[in-house]
Amino acid sequence: MLRYITKRVFAMFLTLLIIATITFFLMKLLPGSPFNNQEKLTESQRYALNEKYGLNDPVPVQYINYLGKLAQGDLGYTFQFDGRTVNSMIANGMGPSATVGFEALLFGTLVGLILGIAAALKHNSFIDYGAMVMAVFGIAIPSFVFAGLLQYYVGVKLGWLPVAFWNGPEYHIMPAFSLSVGVIATVARFMRTEMLEILGTDYILMARSKGISKQAVIIKHCVRNSMIPIITILGPMAIGLITGSLVIENIFAIPGIGEQFVKSINLNDYPVIMGTTLFYSFLIIVIILVVDILYGIIDPRIRVAGGKS
Amino acid sequence: MSMSERKLTPDLFRPANLGTGKGEEITKPSLSFWQDAFRRLKKNRAAMLGLFAIVFIIVFSLIAPSLSKYGMDDQELMRANLPPKIPGLEKIGFLGVDGVDIRGVDQYEMKNVPTEDKFWFGTDPLGRDQWVRVWKGTQISLYIAFLAATIDLIVGVAYGGVSAFYGGRVDDAMQRVVEILVGIPNLVVIILFIIILDPGILSITLALVITGWIGMSRIVRAQILSLKNREFVLASKTLGSTNGRLITKHLLPNTLGAIIVTSTFTIPGAIFFEAFLSFIGLGIQPPTASLGALIADGFRSLRIYPHLAIYPASIMCILMISFNLLGDGLRDALDPKMRK
Repeated sequence: MLRYITKRVFAMFLTLLIIATITFFLMKLLPGSPFNNQEKLTESQRYALNEKYGLNDPVPVQYINYLGKLAQGDLGYTFQFDGRTVNSMIANGMGPSATVGFEALLFGTLVGLILGIAAALKHNSFIDYGAMVMAVFGIAIPSFVFAGLLQYYVGVKLGWLPVAFWNGPEYHIMPAFSLSVGVIATVARFMRTEMLEILGTDYILMARSKGISKQAVIIKHCVRNSMIPIITILGPMAIGLITGSLVIENIFAIPGIGEQFVKSINLNDYPVIMGTTLFYSFLIIVIILVVDILYGIIDPRIRVAGGKS
Repeated sequence: MSMSERKLTPDLFRPANLGTGKGEEITKPSLSFWQDAFRRLKKNRAAMLGLFAIVFIIVFSLIAPSLSKYGMDDQELMRANLPPKIPGLEKIGFLGVDGVDIRGVDQYEMKNVPTEDKFWFGTDPLGRDQWVRVWKGTQISLYIAFLAATIDLIVGVAYGGVSAFYGGRVDDAMQRVVEILVGIPNLVVIILFIIILDPGILSITLALVITGWIGMSRIVRAQILSLKNREFVLASKTLGSTNGRLITKHLLPNTLGAIIVTSTFTIPGAIFFEAFLSFIGLGIQPPTASLGALIADGFRSLRIYPHLAIYPASIMCILMISFNLLGDGLRDALDPKMRK
């Protein structure tokens, strides 16, 4: 197990290094310079600016410097505001983004679990079909389309919830709900399949024949065992949440990382684009790593099977 | 009722002539795998509904733009922001297609639009016919999705196939590359790519393909790995089949089911990512528009002109749901083992 983790952590750093290298050279390939109005600058001013940001060095030197700073967690300066670092921008956006993401994950998983369990217990009934139709809709409809429609009908037409911005708990409901739709659908579908499989196993029959009540069997044996594989979809789900948050934060004007990222794309603020890209990559890679390791710890069968292949 | 009243007399019956071997004869024509799969698919009502919706939308996106006399970028500021008006349906108030906007003003009267001019989906802020733009946008979205799925398919099948078929050191080397690529989040790669290449149909497709083929290659590799040691492949090899014949006659046809199912799920994924890119400002640039770009534009004025976003959003939702339903149906029909 320890060898496996070391190997994975090593691979993670290799992947990050590759991503950092790709981002760096792609940004170097871009035409133009980071400074606005550069025709108006005199030769010496331009030289001084380039010197300040280290742009006079040859590209390999810049690359080494960049990696050196990156190793210390320094993502550089933004072009949008004077003297602000990318780190501080990410740190500022972290709060709202993490809050919405976490709320969506929590709410989505809970509702998804309930829907999936209900669908499996009432297999081939109205509840089952209803839940599965909802799941197909939830998987198919992009979260931003859903968010836009929700904002229009609930926020504007009915006026029940604030349309946008981030000023209090009632502002969390719509964004978190729109983000969670995909999670609900994925979890519900997964849970239903797992539950149906486990309900048909011999050990459930065994537990029932020993006289354990139906509720106890379902809660202690079925649900618990069905929940183990859910961990495998946590990785893709987290990626989905991050992707969704980019647009959801824009639709609801939440001052998070996603909103900042989209803004800097439109403003060609390259250090922020690079920094946020790396941050997202880091986040996703770490999540996938943690999920894989957790899975190995929780379910020994996987570890054995995984060791062979 | 007439059945039970009919008298059954012995002369209605005739002894069957049981010759030798008659009992062994198979009366029903044997179904090939594909006939069987298609029969199963036809039984799945949701999947058939999805298939019909997809065909309908594809056909409609091709013919619908020519039903209007305006082109995709015919601007006329005099008729900007008209609400939808459909001849025949305009008398039915609750459908909202009577040319009256949300303030209750008949925009067609107010802007002196000639009475024969009726914009079925309304017009956008530049006075362009939204009907034409929506269906052209559908065309572009579908084009990007199908192109991305096709390239994914070709690259993925080739890569996965070669990796699995030759195995050994080739497989090792090729899988190391995949392992690293899989680790890179596709969201990041796609955004970076679009920033470097200017947004356009081709660059968006390229960005989608650059990470998209990996999923396909893994599935094909897994399938071929399990197939290549089976008896029928060995038999064919012993009979002197060349590698090319093995691949085209035995391995690929048996992998086709998984390939088709994966492709069906690639398409909605591509439509989603294209729309997503449009939404964050990296999509198709005006005056061309895809469904995603239209939705993104429409959301900006959702409060006053809801018709701009509602129609493309509905078409997109129908497309995505249909592809998902069809994909689920195909998976059940082609590979009952993969059922989830």
